[in-house]
Amino acid sequence: MLRAMLRDLRAHKGRLAMMLAAIVLGVGFMVATWVVSDSTARTAGGGAARTDVAICAQALEPESGFTPAERDRLAALPGVTRTNGVRLGYAALVAADGKLAGVWPDRAGTGWDDSQRFVLADGRAPRAGELALGEQVAAAAGLTVGDTARVILADGSSVRPVVVGLFTYRPLGAEPIPSLAFAGDESAVLLGDRFDRVELATASAADETRLALQVKSIVDGEREVRTGAELTAERERMVADNARSVREVMLVFAAVALVAGMFVIANTFTMLVAQRTRQFALLRAVGASARQVRVAVLTEAAVIGVLGSTVGAVLGVLLGIGALAAFRPEGTTVAYTVSPFGIAAGYLAGVLVTVVSAYGSARRGAAVAPVAALRTDAALPRRALLSRAIVGGVLVVGGVAAVAATSGVDLDNTGRFVSMGGAIAVWLGLVVLAPFLAMAALRPLATLVGWRGGPTAKLAVRNALRDPRRTAATASALTVGLGLVCGFAVVGESFANVAGATTRDQVPAGTTVVQPALDGSRLGPEVVTKVRATPGVAAAVALTRAPVEWAAGDRPLGTTSMSPVDPAAFERVLTMPVVEGSGDLRRGAVVLRGNADLNRLDVGDTLTLTVAPGVTRRVPIVGLYRGWEGQPGIFLDEALVPAEHRGVLEAVYAAGSGARAGLDAAFADRPDILVTDRDGLVERLVKGFELVLAVIYAMFGAALVIAVFGVVNTLALSVLERTREIGVLRALGAGRTFVRRVVRRESIVITCYGGALGLLVGIGVGAVMQHVMLLQPLWPVGVPVPMVAIGVVGMVLVGVLAAVWPARRASRADILAAVATE
Amino acid sequence: MTADTAVRASGLTKVFGSGGARVVALDGVDVTFERGRFAAVMGPSGSGKSTLMHCVAGLERPTDGTVHIGGTELTGLSEQKLTAVRRDRIGFVFQAFNLLPTLSAWENITLPLDLAGKKPDQTYSDAVVDALGLRDRLHHRPAQLSGGQQQRVACARALVTRPDVVFADEPTGALDSRSSAEVLTLLRRCVDEFGATVVMVTHDPRAAERADRVVTLADGRVVA
Repeated sequence: MLRAMLRDLRAHKGRLAMMLAAIVLGVGFMVATWVVSDSTARTAGGGAARTDVAICAQALEPESGFTPAERDRLAALPGVTRTNGVRLGYAALVAADGKLAGVWPDRAGTGWDDSQRFVLADGRAPRAGELALGEQVAAAAGLTVGDTARVILADGSSVRPVVVGLFTYRPLGAEPIPSLAFAGDESAVLLGDRFDRVELATASAADETRLALQVKSIVDGEREVRTGAELTAERERMVADNARSVREVMLVFAAVALVAGMFVIANTFTMLVAQRTRQFALLRAVGASARQVRVAVLTEAAVIGVLGSTVGAVLGVLLGIGALAAFRPEGTTVAYTVSPFGIAAGYLAGVLVTVVSAYGSARRGAAVAPVAALRTDAALPRRALLSRAIVGGVLVVGGVAAVAATSGVDLDNTGRFVSMGGAIAVWLGLVVLAPFLAMAALRPLATLVGWRGGPTAKLAVRNALRDPRRTAATASALTVGLGLVCGFAVVGESFANVAGATTRDQVPAGTTVVQPALDGSRLGPEVVTKVRATPGVAAAVALTRAPVEWAAGDRPLGTTSMSPVDPAAFERVLTMPVVEGSGDLRRGAVVLRGNADLNRLDVGDTLTLTVAPGVTRRVPIVGLYRGWEGQPGIFLDEALVPAEHRGVLEAVYAAGSGARAGLDAAFADRPDILVTDRDGLVERLVKGFELVLAVIYAMFGAALVIAVFGVVNTLALSVLERTREIGVLRALGAGRTFVRRVVRRESIVITCYGGALGLLVGIGVGAVMQHVMLLQPLWPVGVPVPMVAIGVVGMVLVGVLAAVWPARRASRADILAAVATE
Repeated sequence: MTADTAVRASGLTKVFGSGGARVVALDGVDVTFERGRFAAVMGPSGSGKSTLMHCVAGLERPTDGTVHIGGTELTGLSEQKLTAVRRDRIGFVFQAFNLLPTLSAWENITLPLDLAGKKPDQTYSDAVVDALGLRDRLHHRPAQLSGGQQQRVACARALVTRPDVVFADEPTGALDSRSSAEVLTLLRRCVDEFGATVVMVTHDPRAAERADRVVTLADGRVVA
């Protein structure tokens, strides 16, 4: 019995190939995800752990470093066999093309030493006037051994050392990885004489414990003492965490690919079982029980699942390694990692999805009455659509209600959850209702082409309508993929609008903005002084940002971000887009509206802010300002915050009619600093977000690829089922071109239906996402027109492409198959 | 070829396979079918009667010999031209299940014209539809029609282009005796009322009785 099934499977290699393609793609993408995330994390984590550090005293803030005298005091402790002071400082590497090399300069510079920190990959250690570069940075900057590099230091001055070596770095604990190493002595001059940490080695483990206590008694202030073992553990934890978070993000995409794959697999199985109804009935007629048929179908699914997963896993590993190798910066090494977990997860998903999708078909296959064997027009018993309609209807109505109930912009976390949950429920509901939607959408179309269309259009649309369930399942994979892409595009569009609007609200048109060239970096304090001293600048305000713990009375609210500013300078240069209360920072704090709504705060409430360790301030809320969530949670008077705790200097805004020209000239030689204006600021924000979106699009693109395979599968099987009909058509005088055109149009009808639904759902879900994420009104949302246009054109293209092979097969169908007597 | 010859085949040979598996399905068959006559091709299974029809109707290319339909020689025509000949000059009535399930009866009837991009001749098609009693069934799908009605639609479809010849391949094969009789009457009427030329392949002697002329094949040759 089972043997008969498996033999049958082997006999129909085409069907087998289609099913395998669906599984292979889903599993392959998943395994590739795993390989990429593991390898990325391992590569970023650096080489093997260091063994030459017993105790490490480290500063918690860059400002609280150790003086050389303090280092010497630690070095003099009994039992210390080796002392190594590590400096980390601002060093911006200028690439060969004159632009800033793509590495955050804040703590990129360090002093060379002969500890295990550095592993030379090429050249030698730097002496005075020389520089060693991290392999990756050197590759990105286009510099190699023998070149002269330009490095900008914290005070804005430049040095031009010769590159003499390339290294890889073995980090300790959670330290950021420096990529520019000067000679040890010279680093004191270039980066400042303070040490970020002092590493101590001991002769024995017994010394280590004693020494740790001793060091702890000496080191005070914002510093901590850790053992080498603790730091190694911390590093490992960090690498694992990084790998996990990279993987979690990527697995979302893999899951989407798998869901799309699931539709394809399930649909393919349904069609295959439908085709084999007579075979099942025959088996039943000669005495197989329903259970036996069911078990046979499931076994077959499992066999295919294992087969597909195996191919998928191999493909995934190759794909992952290939992608890493392709996107690896030149001249760097990637720690390729293939974890057995990833492969196991891929297998599990592949087999499980296949078996689960086959289960429904197996049940229906087993329900075939033995008498069906005797009929030529045997059809599968159909489940009632009623339960489907009820479930789908409830989900859609409930989801819409949930979204409607939370349509206000003053959302707290529960509101966000309800709103997003509602959107997802509507989406699921629509997927459940898909066959009805297909009928609703295609029937009018069929009527229309019935009146006016030619024979190809008529046949194509009616064929698509023949089995709405099949059309819907085929289109669903497309709907999911395109819906996600479109949803995020809506969020992107909304973000661009919000970022533009709020920036325009806050920054007057003539304002000049000085920012780090690299997003997320910080400006040196000398920049503020330099801006103020530049001719043409009438006033300047420095915007710093620091994390702060906050509470409303006794109610702790966790952590938010604060920008302590000089109220007078702020007023002269920027505008506070106040929506409630006043923007007078002299009287209290101004809070981001979304931040206030989220924590149920209002004008008049008093905040308790822990602005520095042990320093709390009670500040009343005087106003709420309009903005998006990337902006500071609280603005307050800088007089309330000790100077060294005002945080990272993110930007300096300058007013004055000659400011732009003056600042352009003043920073002309500083590729690490960007001078721009309001429009440039908006553009930069949007561009950064677009980059993220591009990655998301690429990822969900995989779901679309799988969806295309689904369309190919459906069409190919439909063509197989309709051999006789196609033969009749051909005998009656339809040319091959006609047959091909009918199949192609059917394909386009299916993809366009799936695409249109995807776009609509995407815009809806996107509207809710931006509502929840950016606290914008649900409607109107900016519809990303280019995205929709690409979507529509893309769907037609997908339809044409997916039809190529099935259409060719159909056009080659033997005419005699239709005419021949059985 | 005279004016009252609809179809002429001469020296028609069809060989399948080669070497040990070589089967001669038609062995130099010469046959003509006259215009306005109802001819039956009979023979035991394997006699080559279906192959003869396939070759004559341009569904299969003969290994040797020529076929003329209404003055056009089929041998040597390109695939496209053959398709056009089938569409414009030949009508087909197959066994059951030969209507397109997604098209209504009327759409099925006019399908060959539709494919050619022609408008149906309203008077003629009305006459065919009325003669076959399909007037009130035109907007039904095949699934809503009885077997006999489906076969009538198939006949109407074969007649609507006014072809040189209508080929019927075992038209009674899938029907019970009552429906069979109906179909044969129908084909008879096609000849008598619409002046069609019908060539029917059958293995049923009772069906052959209704024809004007019977061509009998055995082992790929005409024996009577």
